[in-house]
Amino acid sequence: MATTACFIIVSRNDIPIYEAEVGSAAKREDAAQLHQFVLHAALDIVQDLAWTTSAMFLKAIDRFNDLVVSVYVTAGHTRLMLLHDSRNDDGIKSFFQEVHELYIRILLNPLYLPGSRITSSHFDTKVRALARKYL
Amino acid sequence: MEPGVSIETSSMIRVAVLPIGEVPPTLLRDYFSMLLRYQTILLSAISSFYTEHQKSPFAHQPWDSGSLRFKFILGGAPPSPWEDFQSNRKILAIIGICHCPSSPDLDTVVSQFSAACKGFSSALVERCFAFCPGDSQLEDGSRKGGNLMLFPPADRDTQELHLQTMMQDIAASLLMKFEKWVLQAESTGTILKTPLDSQSSLSSEEVIKAKKRRLGRAQKTIGDYCLLAGSPVDANAHYTTALELSRLTGDFFWLAGALEGGVCALLIDRMGQRDSVLEDEVRYRYQSVIVHYRKVSPITFELEATLKLARFLCRRELAKEVVDLLTTAADGAKSLIDASDRLILYVELARLYGTLGYERKAAFFSRQVAQLYLQQENRLAAISAMHVLALTTKAYRVQSTASVSKNETGSGLADNTKMLHQSVVSLFESQWSTLQMVVLREILLSALRAGDPLAAWSAAARLLRSYYPLITPAGQNGLASALSNSADRLPSGTRSADPALPFRNSAKEDWWAGSAPSGPFIYTPFTKGEPNNNSKHELIWVVGELVEVLVELANPCGFDLRVDSIYLSVNSRNFDPFPVTVNLPTNSSKVIALSGIPTAVGPVTIHGCTVHCFGVITEHLFKDVDNLLLGAMQGLVLSDPFRSCGSGKLKNVSVPNISVVPPLPLLVSHIVGDGAIILHEGEIRDVWIHLANAGTVSVEQVHISLSGKNQDSVISFASETLKSALPLKPGAEVTIPVTLKAWRLGVGDADIAGGKSAFGSIVRHSKDGHSPALLIHYSGPLSNSKDPQTNETIPPGKRLVVPLQICVLQGLSFVKAQLLLMEIPAHVGESLPQLAHVNSHCSEDAVGSNSEIDKLVKIDPYRGSWGLRFLELELSNPTDVVFDITVSVQLDSSSNDDSHSVDKDTSEYGYLTTRIDRDLSARVLIPLEHFKLPILDASFFAKDDQTDGVGSCRSAIFSEKNTNAELNASIKNLISKIKVWWKSGRNSSGELNIKDAIHAALRSSVMDVLLPDPLTFGFRLLRSCSEPEDFTAQAHPFTSKGSVLAHDMTPMEVTVRNNTKDMIKMNLSIACRDVAGESCVEGAKATVLLAGVLGGIAMEVPPLQEIKHSFSLYFLVPGEYSLVAAAMIDDANDLLRARARTDSPDEPILCRGPPFHVRVVGTL
Repeated sequence: MATTACFIIVSRNDIPIYEAEVGSAAKREDAAQLHQFVLHAALDIVQDLAWTTSAMFLKAIDRFNDLVVSVYVTAGHTRLMLLHDSRNDDGIKSFFQEVHELYIRILLNPLYLPGSRITSSHFDTKVRALARKYL
Repeated sequence: MEPGVSIETSSMIRVAVLPIGEVPPTLLRDYFSMLLRYQTILLSAISSFYTEHQKSPFAHQPWDSGSLRFKFILGGAPPSPWEDFQSNRKILAIIGICHCPSSPDLDTVVSQFSAACKGFSSALVERCFAFCPGDSQLEDGSRKGGNLMLFPPADRDTQELHLQTMMQDIAASLLMKFEKWVLQAESTGTILKTPLDSQSSLSSEEVIKAKKRRLGRAQKTIGDYCLLAGSPVDANAHYTTALELSRLTGDFFWLAGALEGGVCALLIDRMGQRDSVLEDEVRYRYQSVIVHYRKVSPITFELEATLKLARFLCRRELAKEVVDLLTTAADGAKSLIDASDRLILYVELARLYGTLGYERKAAFFSRQVAQLYLQQENRLAAISAMHVLALTTKAYRVQSTASVSKNETGSGLADNTKMLHQSVVSLFESQWSTLQMVVLREILLSALRAGDPLAAWSAAARLLRSYYPLITPAGQNGLASALSNSADRLPSGTRSADPALPFRNSAKEDWWAGSAPSGPFIYTPFTKGEPNNNSKHELIWVVGELVEVLVELANPCGFDLRVDSIYLSVNSRNFDPFPVTVNLPTNSSKVIALSGIPTAVGPVTIHGCTVHCFGVITEHLFKDVDNLLLGAMQGLVLSDPFRSCGSGKLKNVSVPNISVVPPLPLLVSHIVGDGAIILHEGEIRDVWIHLANAGTVSVEQVHISLSGKNQDSVISFASETLKSALPLKPGAEVTIPVTLKAWRLGVGDADIAGGKSAFGSIVRHSKDGHSPALLIHYSGPLSNSKDPQTNETIPPGKRLVVPLQICVLQGLSFVKAQLLLMEIPAHVGESLPQLAHVNSHCSEDAVGSNSEIDKLVKIDPYRGSWGLRFLELELSNPTDVVFDITVSVQLDSSSNDDSHSVDKDTSEYGYLTTRIDRDLSARVLIPLEHFKLPILDASFFAKDDQTDGVGSCRSAIFSEKNTNAELNASIKNLISKIKVWWKSGRNSSGELNIKDAIHAALRSSVMDVLLPDPLTFGFRLLRSCSEPEDFTAQAHPFTSKGSVLAHDMTPMEVTVRNNTKDMIKMNLSIACRDVAGESCVEGAKATVLLAGVLGGIAMEVPPLQEIKHSFSLYFLVPGEYSLVAAAMIDDANDLLRARARTDSPDEPILCRGPPFHVRVVGTL
């Protein structure tokens, strides 16, 4: 498992709808903030890069110092973004794919308004379990 | 590292611009901006100033197309250790700027300037520009000569022309100096060193190496000067030589420098001809520059080269490449030792990302810059940090409303009420609350350090307003104190664009939100129903009249909030708002009414409220809060401040369009006496309503109507009184009486009342919404029609609602009603009074008594007997007051009782008063005989006949379903004449509403009460005319009323009247009974002899006719006898069956008349 990892789902309107610090490193508030800042900044790059490929998994698209941003863009232009410090493309890809499936299940909920915050604790648990499994 | 570098930087001549003496900052900026226009001086323009002293080393100088480039550095820069390596880093010229009025002594200026120039040893040309010299200074200065240039006061164009000339002169001088330097360098050869070399020890090997490298470095430097001189071809030639030499000597740093210079020369040479080939060339060469720089430390040159290339390529199409370059550059930050280098790197990264359109990336690096500034912990750095952070706010969407341009906010998503949820979502785009809070907190911190209270206030306000749910109460308190601390340092009356406390508007309250009438009348029935406007929310306010807007304020934070003043903020200038002060405790919300007075005609738009809180005046827009609430509803924002404060009672409304109309009259009402009118059930009372015109215009037209529930409780209102008082001038008053009658408490109410009145307590019935209200529509005068042709607008009318607060107390309660019947046989007399014109006087005669009770005994004209009918009402008094009951029956005076009317009397018939004490019950008798029962009327039938020509009307009545309706109508008519009045105390009186009770009581016996028998029988004594004394005696009421002598043949006749519309065939029989009820005509013991037929008389009675049958009786024994006629009706029709209440069609119908008494007196 990566020592530092921050997973975030950004809706098509560029709003974060799910955030999770999934790294094993000790949690520090300023670090978590930096993670979000990096991820937020990486959106600019994703926005251009997403249209250059048909693949959903965009691999590592940005980095700041030793933090790498990997992105997975769904067909609905929801972006699953992972900030990590380890290089494990395969694991990250699997992680993204499984989280995508979870996200689709959330979308299927008729009470969920697409683009709004994901508050399901079940989702949270599953994502963290996946992070432990793959990252 | 240097900021703002690009490939072309190598060709720019650095000029230090130094203020000499006192120069006000604004003027300095102004002079500097003038200089900035001459950053490029064409070579062709300087040829006149240029003199070739010796052969120019710049053989290929493009005199027609080339130019010199200047880079002005305000305040200069410290000499760089790398200026030998890149000559463009040297300060090659100095321009002093002097503002003469503030530096009167020119000598001092000259000396100050020369002192300043000493700091710049590399400067080749020095000039001091003195602006705005006085006359004496001009004379003085012209003698000084030298480097001091005086700019005589002139208009801007002249000055600029002057300045241009001066700059061209400077350019020419520089060019000549460059030539001189190059010639000198070529001949003598200078030692060029960089900080890299100085570290190496001076071993012999090193010295040899340095000598070898000297030539290459000299060539590179000459190339630099060629570039500065604007001769790229010459530069390229020298660079090429330098490249070869440094490659031979392994001098990679200078090799890279020569390569870089070569690229710059290429670009200058191809000025304005950019194509992909050139781009590829530049990219290729720069990659090798970067590679060569990488071989040697320091990293700054590699980073600078990377940034230069990135800047060159910085276009959207090449974004990926640029991003790669920039990411690589960003990685270099770790290796940078100097903090200021890192600062410059981040600044450059932010700029380049910004140019690329990557706002978020730019914001990210800007924040890094700000963090570096904040680490310096001094005020200037904090100010810089604050400014840099302010740039990021747009990307993080936390910008101050002041910085959001008007049209951006105006493009109203909020205007559209039917927002799709997608666009709602877009309202809350990039809600990265963590980031936003961090940025705001950093702005707050930097503003506090920088000593900018307003910025600090604004940041703290934004933090509090938007992110209070994420801030702990302690943090909220901290922010609150930050706000007040900042406010302490702000001048009072400071305005901030960012509101601190959330609120919303809830409802517009107005005395009238109605339509403007479209005609001269206040209401025209044709326009009333249709919608008056397309938009639902239209509001009309009147000049000079107080209006109130309800606004809900919420303080969701953990500190008490005092709003020093809050008032409506109106864009149009025709509204005077009144400020109020509000205290909002922790976590609370409050609805306040903000009032104001419209001052002029026109539209009014209320955007929000102006709030003076925490020492700063801010404007809170309703729209923002609407959006916030919308977002809260969709789960897009953190929380709804109102709901979290336990509010949410008021419905949020959008601000309607409001227009202000000219002054209108204003009626003010109050009910004379106490506010609430307390009445017992059924009580009738007059109240007075006092109306006053409080407006400035007189009331010209008025109309009163009723509205609300229980409208029928208002019996009358004197609209005439009001109308007669018109026009009601301003200040005039009028009082109108209104007669009220309390309604009955409903069933549910009665239950409540019963429960509560168990101990006799007064039950107040004061539920709102039960009381009626008077609607007074009124209007002022029509506007003076100056031109009748124009379609003048009619001023709107107004509506005044006068609610009549009626409290109904439980009064007398009704227990039951029943009908009491009693029949008294009639005496057989000489006449048949009952048939034709019976009246009460007759009956009085007949009974022979004037007592009250005897009056009640009435002859039933259709039956022939005396009857006594009472409606008995049982009433109870659960209240604690005494009631006096008076029954009055309104007697009918209808005109249709032509032949069968019982009563001609039209006066009301009053009876004795019954008193019911508290907690007791009593019975009240209501005589029914006074009614002319309409269903018996010929006219009634006649009416039906007309509608139903065949004459089967009765059949219809009885057989059809409309029977009930007909009966009900007649009963209602009957009941409406009975009034039960009560009186309690001195001034409380009313009417008991017992209609339903009477109705129920009469329902069962209605047929008997209201319908006649089909046949009426009557007996009459026949006296011969030869006995006039008897006749007269008969006329006397007391002596011989219907008495018959025994032992005398008494001729009698029986009259049978057919009350139906059909011929009735029947079998008539007459029985004569004695007191014991035994038949005394037949049998062995017959005491009466007879002549004629008494039984089985077959007769046919035509409709509505009567037939007489005569017979004679001879009474043997004096006493009381009764004669009873009975008829067996053959072939009875349905009608008769129904009347007889038989169902079987075969059963014969016996119609029995009432007994008639015959008093037989014996002969004395």
